[in-house]
Amino acid sequence: MNFLWRVALFEYRRNVFKKSFILLLISVPTFITFSIGLGVFLESSEVNPLPVGYVDEAGVFASVLTAPEIASTWNAENDEGIAFIAYLSEDEATAALNDGVIQAYYLLPQDYFETRRVEQIYIEKPGKNAARQFYDFMQLNLLSSQPPEFALRAATGTDVLVRSIDGKRVVSSDGPTFGLLMPLFMTMGFLFMILMSSGYALSAVADEKEIRTMEVLVTSISPARLITGKILGITAIGLTLLFTWTLEILAGIAVSRQLGVSWFMDLSMDWRIILATLAVGIPAYALTIALMTAIGAMVTTTQEGQSVSSIFFILHLAPLYISFIFINDPHGSLGVILSLSPFTALMTIGMRNLFTIVPPWQIFVSVGVQIVCALGTFWLAGRSLRLGMLRYGQRLTWRGLLGRLDRA
Amino acid sequence: MNPVNVSQIAKSFGETHAVADVSFEVQRGEIFGLLGPNGAGKTTTIRTMLDIFKPDKGAVSILGGPMTDEKKARIGYMPEERGLYQDVTLERCLLYLASLKVVPNDEARQRLAEYLERFDLAEHKNKKVKELSKGMQQKAQIISTLLHEPELVVIDEPFSALDPLNLQLVKDLMCDLRQQGVTIIMSTHQMHQVEELCDRIVLIDNGREVLYGDLAEIRQRFSGHAVEVRSPEELPSLPGVEQVAIHNGAVKLTLTADSTPQDILYQLTTKKVILEKFEIAIPSLDEIFIKVVEEGRVKV
Repeated sequence: MNFLWRVALFEYRRNVFKKSFILLLISVPTFITFSIGLGVFLESSEVNPLPVGYVDEAGVFASVLTAPEIASTWNAENDEGIAFIAYLSEDEATAALNDGVIQAYYLLPQDYFETRRVEQIYIEKPGKNAARQFYDFMQLNLLSSQPPEFALRAATGTDVLVRSIDGKRVVSSDGPTFGLLMPLFMTMGFLFMILMSSGYALSAVADEKEIRTMEVLVTSISPARLITGKILGITAIGLTLLFTWTLEILAGIAVSRQLGVSWFMDLSMDWRIILATLAVGIPAYALTIALMTAIGAMVTTTQEGQSVSSIFFILHLAPLYISFIFINDPHGSLGVILSLSPFTALMTIGMRNLFTIVPPWQIFVSVGVQIVCALGTFWLAGRSLRLGMLRYGQRLTWRGLLGRLDRA
Repeated sequence: MNPVNVSQIAKSFGETHAVADVSFEVQRGEIFGLLGPNGAGKTTTIRTMLDIFKPDKGAVSILGGPMTDEKKARIGYMPEERGLYQDVTLERCLLYLASLKVVPNDEARQRLAEYLERFDLAEHKNKKVKELSKGMQQKAQIISTLLHEPELVVIDEPFSALDPLNLQLVKDLMCDLRQQGVTIIMSTHQMHQVEELCDRIVLIDNGREVLYGDLAEIRQRFSGHAVEVRSPEELPSLPGVEQVAIHNGAVKLTLTADSTPQDILYQLTTKKVILEKFEIAIPSLDEIFIKVVEEGRVKV
């Protein structure tokens, strides 16, 4: 096993077997389980299977038609039909309500056709399914004079589909599916991995200075190998996080699908966007890690490095805060500039991909710019390490670093 | 071929001339003292010697030529600014550092077990380094420096934080290593340890070598102007003596330039003074250090 792998393995084991890392690993499934559980709980608490009564003084339900299973609700699959019981008078309906036979009843007064007003009477607030299904039920009966297929179509309502020009992405009026939001989730995942790994990269170098192990290390292994080994180890840590979280998220999706959460039913996604996100994310990762290594070698303590590096984290996240600009004009000049700029490219392209297809040339230029910057920063990181590694308690300034490159 | 040959090296950082002109050779199997006041350039000299810094001018030959990756595994270095990974166990920390010196894992484990036993650290091997006392960490650093059985050992202040028992342990270890043919370069401010252990020294001040050579010769060189006399009676006034002082329970007579110890002994015996002790006063290394640094460069 050569030096690179020894350093990488030590760096990996040193961080991965810490309690804080294990907590980080399980934080995602905990969060997912909690979110799904909370969603299922809230949804189930809003559903009441008891029948609903009605008193039809207006004669709307002259010949009763049962509401069809229409997909006008977000969770129609789980919205089991409830029974509707007709009462001849309000007294009968009230008695049934008091006896707990029904959860609520609706009163269609004699002047309904003039006022179009319906009263809902209940003791405890009925489930959301009651109003939803009674609405469909009533709508269908109001359309009973129409041919059944027209009545059904009218009851189903409108569903506006927004389709991309190439037809590969469709958003219905129910909102984007999980698959459509996948590029954004990937971008956020990459960003999170970059932020996590950056912290490790920063402390990997700054720590060696702080605990005074650097000088012994560089008399055993060249600074270039040391730093490459560390970056390999840190990347492996990042990939461990990403891989574990991906597995956890996939498991979460599978469970959600089993539970019938419709948002996870359509997982179709546009692979061009996935590839574009990967293409931009990998050099963005390399660039940030190299930069954090350089900063780690320049500062005196990890804490000091964290304050300097926060500037670059803000740059990474900045596009999120001005996302309204991309919604209004995804091809605007600001979006293009930020897509081509290091640090902002990943988030900007991820955001723009939600609302448009980012032209391939912009992806290529962005990747090219980031690769060039990453290579330059790796070179700078090596020099920074060489000059700054033994400056205990003294910060290496950018001016000092650039002014001394020729003598490093 | 000497293991270390430093020839007229100079190293500056911006406007600061850390090392201006330093030359010395270290011979195989000796303990060599690299001495100097704070800020004299010792650490920069060591770092340049070990190829951590490139010299602005001059040349360094180590183990027969320029530093290579292969040679790094034959050198043990314990710098002044030193530390260990605090959040891992002692055993894992030392095995990792040994692995960077290309020691096979089984061999490293075996040697480590022996060293831990010798340094009374065996029962602490599974503790995190941060749980160990400063003295224990110091001993662990010494183990880390020696675990790969280096040919050349460079140690900066090896005795700091050690109690008298462990200090003796480290000194014995250094003597053992010297007997085995290991070359040791030691930098310390504890001059009595240098007197006890070192064969030869170089003294650096203001980035320049100001004193260099065999320790016994140097001390001899700086002696000759004084004698130490102990007598149960009061010493008479003697011609050829310019200063009388009490030193180590004896009387130190500093002689005039034209006087010799033989002249003084002759006068004392002539005057029938009872003598319990009469010897040429050899200055301590501390005294030589202060004298040389204060007075400037002295060539031996």
